[in-house]
Amino acid sequence: MSAVAGAISLTSRFTTGLLNRPVWFLWLVLLLCFWVAAWAGAVPVTADDWRVLWRHEEPLTSGAYVLWSLRLPRILFAALVGAVLGLSGALTQGLFRNPLADPGLLGVTSGAACAAALTIVVLAGSGIDIPIAWRFWVLPLTAFAGAVGVCLLLDTVARWLTADSIAGLLLTGIALNALAAAIIGLCTYLATDEQLRSLTFWTLGSLAGGSWPLVGTLSVLLLAAIWYVRRLVSAMNALALGEAAAAHVGINVRHLRRRVIILVALLSGFAVAWCGVIGFIGLVAPHIVRLVVGPDQRRMAPLAMLVGAIILLVADTTARTVAIPAEIPVGIFTALLGAPFFLVLLTSVRKGG
Amino acid sequence: MIHTVQSHSMLSLDRVTVKLGQRTFGPFSFAIQPGERVAVLGPSGAGKSTLLKLLARELSPASGHAGFCQQPLQGWSLADLSRRRAILPQSHEVAFGLPVDLVIGLGRVSRMHDPSLASIVQQAAEQACAAHLLGRRFDTLSGGEKARVQMARVFAQLWDVEQGLLLVDEPLAALDPGLQFSLMEAIYTFAAKRGHAILAILHDINQALQGFERLIFIKHGAMVGDYQTPHVTLPLLEALYDVNLACAVTEEGEMIVAPSLQRKVVAEC
Repeated sequence: MSAVAGAISLTSRFTTGLLNRPVWFLWLVLLLCFWVAAWAGAVPVTADDWRVLWRHEEPLTSGAYVLWSLRLPRILFAALVGAVLGLSGALTQGLFRNPLADPGLLGVTSGAACAAALTIVVLAGSGIDIPIAWRFWVLPLTAFAGAVGVCLLLDTVARWLTADSIAGLLLTGIALNALAAAIIGLCTYLATDEQLRSLTFWTLGSLAGGSWPLVGTLSVLLLAAIWYVRRLVSAMNALALGEAAAAHVGINVRHLRRRVIILVALLSGFAVAWCGVIGFIGLVAPHIVRLVVGPDQRRMAPLAMLVGAIILLVADTTARTVAIPAEIPVGIFTALLGAPFFLVLLTSVRKGG
Repeated sequence: MIHTVQSHSMLSLDRVTVKLGQRTFGPFSFAIQPGERVAVLGPSGAGKSTLLKLLARELSPASGHAGFCQQPLQGWSLADLSRRRAILPQSHEVAFGLPVDLVIGLGRVSRMHDPSLASIVQQAAEQACAAHLLGRRFDTLSGGEKARVQMARVFAQLWDVEQGLLLVDEPLAALDPGLQFSLMEAIYTFAAKRGHAILAILHDINQALQGFERLIFIKHGAMVGDYQTPHVTLPLLEALYDVNLACAVTEEGEMIVAPSLQRKVVAEC
């Protein structure tokens, strides 16, 4: 009896302990998601396949092959992209001092996608031959350039409109999204069949391109971003006081804004370049985190990455298993879940204000 | 209180003008010594806030020379400047509903290494009568509570500094008289203990007369007077605001003024 009670109390203490330490709790959830995602899919995987993989046995079973060259890179890629999107969302919201700001809604992602689409069609049309070694980087860099352009435009407009007007920002976002949609539409119209295939990929968003080199590159990018963000987050808290007061407590607001903008553009640009437009993660993840641990950027930013990773991993796993053998683009999935969430958020902000 | 005029002044303006849109403000010429308490008075739109923005380095001078602690004001880095002067703003909004502790701690955000942060936040909150608000979210506070927290933030910023400068932009106008009084007292105590100078923009003439030793008058964008408080007379104030004032003197000898339609002088000043 006492043993059972002891076990229960131990379990409950363990659970509350976890809930008090959201980082550990979220890591645990993420690992669980990894576990489920690795087993789920069109090709069944057995414990035998894991053993083959673990011991480097030859020849590879088909399950082990799928696991190593398709599924594992893909789920890692999904988690990394989710983390990147969560972080860029958290930074955007901090920068614009508003919980409704999101790289997707503000047109940053569309700007990146638009630049990428132009590159695909125009570059291919002009017949410029790019060395193979460079191809890997061409799209990310142009997407980054597109994202930076939109960010700078938004920053200018945000200052030009009243300082804290999210309505102005979102309206600008609508205009930019429409413009980007038109340009992507034009590209679609001009594209050859082959180009069309890769264009559709941008607009819908998919993680099917996940591979080990991408996982490696994105990990490096994310680690660099985390290292860089660590020094920015306290200053970003000060931004919540308003720009003038932030300057009064010693923050160089212009430098801070520029750094955050470049970082947001870099993160969303790379995410878009490799997996197209995946919306709403950047909006949802920071919001959930803020509800649980509060708005302190120093805690919020890292947790938003974890939550973003979890959400995108779950969404992607669902997207590729819900209609086996077909696969729904994950961008559709996140939009289906995220758009209603945004509406709810909008009403709650309205009530709060 | 440090009354002795030092060989050097903490803040000095020498024929400084500021351009804001089409308007030019100034020239402003005055110097503030460590520990001095200076109030800036003038009608609305006269340029009081512009002067404060100039001193806060939100605006830069179009001509003239502004110096702070023997260096040109523009030559200071924002981080260094934030360790010598603090600004209590007029509005109190903070985005996202940050916790009160964090808002107060943000006063010290420019310090890279700050081991005594927690205890300073606690003491600053106590000094600003805001200790009971620690742990709450900023956006759930009332106007008066927000003012106290912002004041605690400013206190934290200059807590372990001597001879700093505190710029105050009419932060208490919307509060009830009792709270105004206790918060102004808190500011005086805080500043006097550390030799901080205070430069405050005020609308309340009586607050200025009672709490400040020197008054600077600003009208139509220019400085029209700089007086030690005992030398301020009713006609000077009437000319500043273009209004008839009535005046009474309390038993302690404090002058109390109020606008009046017919000029009724209760006691000769």
